[in-house]
Amino acid sequence: MLILAAARAATRRHGGAHLVGRANKKRGIQTATVTDGAIQQLASKPLHALTLADLCSHGRPPLSTEQLLKSANFTLSILPSRLAHRIQSLRALPYIVVANPNVSQIHNNYVHSLSTLLPYAERHIETLQDEIKFTEVMADLVETHSNTIAVLARGFLEARKYISAEQITRFLDEHLRARIGTRLIAEQHIALHFSSKAHAELSDHHETTEQSSYIGVIDTALKPAEIIRRCEATVGEICELKYGVRPTVVLSGDPETTIAHIPMHLEYILTELLKNSFRATIEAGMEKEPIDITIAPAPENEDWRAEQKRAMEKGSSAINSVADHDTSTADAASNTKLPPGASANIQPLDCSSPGVTIRIRDRGGGISPENHTKLWEYGFTTFNEDEINDKTSGTDAGPSALDMLSAGAAGGSSLAGLGYGLPLGRAYAGYFGGGIAVQSLFGWGTDVYLSLRGVGKIN
Amino acid sequence: MRVTGWAPVASPGLLMLRGPHRKGNAVAAATSRSPQYVAPPWRPSSILDEWVQREVRPISLRQLTFFGRTLTQDRLIQGANYARLELPTRIAHRLRNMQTLPYSALKNRHIAHVYELYYTAFERFRKVPEVRTLEDNDKYCEVLVQCLQEHLSVIPSLGMGVLEIQDSVSSEECDRFMTTLLRSRISRRVIAEQHLALTETFHSAWHFPNAKKSAMAPEDDFVGEIFLKCSAKEIIETCAATATELMSKAYGPVAIPRVAIKGHLDTTFPYIPSHIEYIIGELLRNSMQGVIEQRQSSSPKPIEVLICEAAQSVIIRVSDQGGGIDRAILPYLWSFAKGPRRNMRLQNLEQVPKLAGTMQELRWADSTGPDRSHSPGSGPSSGEKSGSSLTALSSRPPDLRLGMGLPMSKIYAEYWAGSLEVHSLEGYGVDAFLQISKLGNRNEVLSTRATMDAV
Repeated sequence: MLILAAARAATRRHGGAHLVGRANKKRGIQTATVTDGAIQQLASKPLHALTLADLCSHGRPPLSTEQLLKSANFTLSILPSRLAHRIQSLRALPYIVVANPNVSQIHNNYVHSLSTLLPYAERHIETLQDEIKFTEVMADLVETHSNTIAVLARGFLEARKYISAEQITRFLDEHLRARIGTRLIAEQHIALHFSSKAHAELSDHHETTEQSSYIGVIDTALKPAEIIRRCEATVGEICELKYGVRPTVVLSGDPETTIAHIPMHLEYILTELLKNSFRATIEAGMEKEPIDITIAPAPENEDWRAEQKRAMEKGSSAINSVADHDTSTADAASNTKLPPGASANIQPLDCSSPGVTIRIRDRGGGISPENHTKLWEYGFTTFNEDEINDKTSGTDAGPSALDMLSAGAAGGSSLAGLGYGLPLGRAYAGYFGGGIAVQSLFGWGTDVYLSLRGVGKIN
Repeated sequence: MRVTGWAPVASPGLLMLRGPHRKGNAVAAATSRSPQYVAPPWRPSSILDEWVQREVRPISLRQLTFFGRTLTQDRLIQGANYARLELPTRIAHRLRNMQTLPYSALKNRHIAHVYELYYTAFERFRKVPEVRTLEDNDKYCEVLVQCLQEHLSVIPSLGMGVLEIQDSVSSEECDRFMTTLLRSRISRRVIAEQHLALTETFHSAWHFPNAKKSAMAPEDDFVGEIFLKCSAKEIIETCAATATELMSKAYGPVAIPRVAIKGHLDTTFPYIPSHIEYIIGELLRNSMQGVIEQRQSSSPKPIEVLICEAAQSVIIRVSDQGGGIDRAILPYLWSFAKGPRRNMRLQNLEQVPKLAGTMQELRWADSTGPDRSHSPGSGPSSGEKSGSSLTALSSRPPDLRLGMGLPMSKIYAEYWAGSLEVHSLEGYGVDAFLQISKLGNRNEVLSTRATMDAV
């Protein structure tokens, strides 16, 4: 049952890469050969438009065995085609890029994961034993792909001569958004499994009631202020180590606000944004100036209720279209139009809770106009070239402290300084209809607007 | 007598309007005689075609400044001829835009009114002979003044027209149309007003032979309409004072938030004062209204304005805690054409032409306008007459919600290659970011024929 312990730790982690010996993953997991035909067939199916309600529809934890099996079968029905789409997408990249060892490794990971799901083709999961095995497969999936982004980043960096920035951006925008969803589906099932009645009985471990606000990986009573303080502590410590000083954070607005969201996602986003702000502030010599964070919950008023009603009448896809306006005039460079793969996104619940806007203001001198145009490119960074070379050569002098920060939801190490923080943060924020907008006051500082939709109320 | 149908008319301008001097009244009178609205009659298009073929020659703030800095008679005449050719060219392009709107749009009385105004102006402008002497220039200036006055009602008319033609023209197209027209209008007025101001400067120097031989403006910092040293802080303070006064008149004894300014307080930049005052005025009004209407407390949080100066630009951030922008109108923030408050906007717009008229009368009676308070001497007084369309809008009572302040401000900001963006924290407040190019060396932003044809 080692794999289960590992997977359980994986779902509880809040930061720090989770590294499990790869040998474990092969233990007890059946695979079947993935043929090109199978990929073709699976990818030809249109992606099912998922809603978060689908993921939560199996019941409120702790799930009964019957509900657990429903969750497993539902997961099984949608994952293979999602993986197949990813494989197709990768194979559409230029040969010389996919031949890069790092990119190739990722491609193989996806093929491997699909191979672990093929044995279930045409089958239903009907017993608890099957379900436990299936959860192991899910855990393997999560673990295998935990450092996809770092590895892909390295790969694209090495192959940058053969592929344009636009091509990379286009591919990654779609791929990373889809990845968020795929991961979520798997992690949700794992979490539901661990909080199920069956599991409690089997492991003689009684879950404490502190988990009661959770439905799988969703915390319905998530307090952004708490996550901010946590990220502030972590990032601050690193700054102290690296620069000898650390800026402070002042909270205003309504710090007691809670929303329903996914802690891992929020933590990733806030870590990235605070990293940027802290670093800029220190390098501008303004570390005595606090970073001003305002938490503004959207009111649940008449207009919002009317909008929900309209959205429900039109169908849940309407909610995403309004969401783009959360950041009313997002800066032009951010190009908030959803990419074509957006249909792979999971739609928020019909009755999404109103959400919150978090504004982060720093005095770090702002972003120069030249840098501003490249803000949302993957791989654009103002870290220096030497650091990049360190990362692309095999000789990592061990992951630096800043690198460790980017572990967690994004998985893996060595993400710092690779220029993925902002676009990836935006992918997470936008996943349920929120967004990130960046307003630079060059010569003074930067204002960042993070808007989050609650992922919903579950009745 | 009204001419209907498509009979080609030899002398345009005598159709729906009896004489060009009555703004809109002639149309109203004409239409009251026969309730059926008819689109403007057709004129032979070959002349218009010629002018539409001509390319527009855009200018930059810096060019205007350098040109006007050393005024000689030759230069003045040159300027007159530039205007003489530019104005009809630009109006011709706009007329062609209007002609390519759906027929039903031109049947709308407001659109038709503006079309007729423009056509009359075009006819008048294109017939001006080459300017060779100062007397010629004076005659030309009279033509300019007349046009500027007649066109005061264009903005509210267009605003109403665009709201009314929703059924025949999509809102995206309406917005594009409105933006194109407004940009061009700003550009024509800038050219006209600048030339008038420079003429005035030239003559006043002429009348005071003891003044500097180079005939520069007595206040070095003014070149025609352009004030080279607009002080960000002073402008904000002036606009704040005006807005505060308006609010207390409108809302009575209610706590009005004060405006706190911080950042790079010494910042100056070259700009046309009425433009920047309009934009900042709108932003401050929105903020104040947001805070006041929340009625949260007796000591409302101040509106924080930050001035940030960099090498090439100035950014002014206006932050309020007025509760943010209603979700329902957020998607339509920058649109002239749609939104849930359409009917209210229409009703309010109908009140504005009267406002423009009133302000005009006030202006004649009292020649010192509120927007000249920053200049030590009296600035060129012709600026007041022509600035009055903006001033009228700026001093409208707060409850006259037109729904145009933001999109209009954006057009003004973008005209000199700046930008305006707004971020709303729903339930909390709004941050508006106005970016101004400091160097003044970017060309005016106009919608070219190409972008229009691509529509």
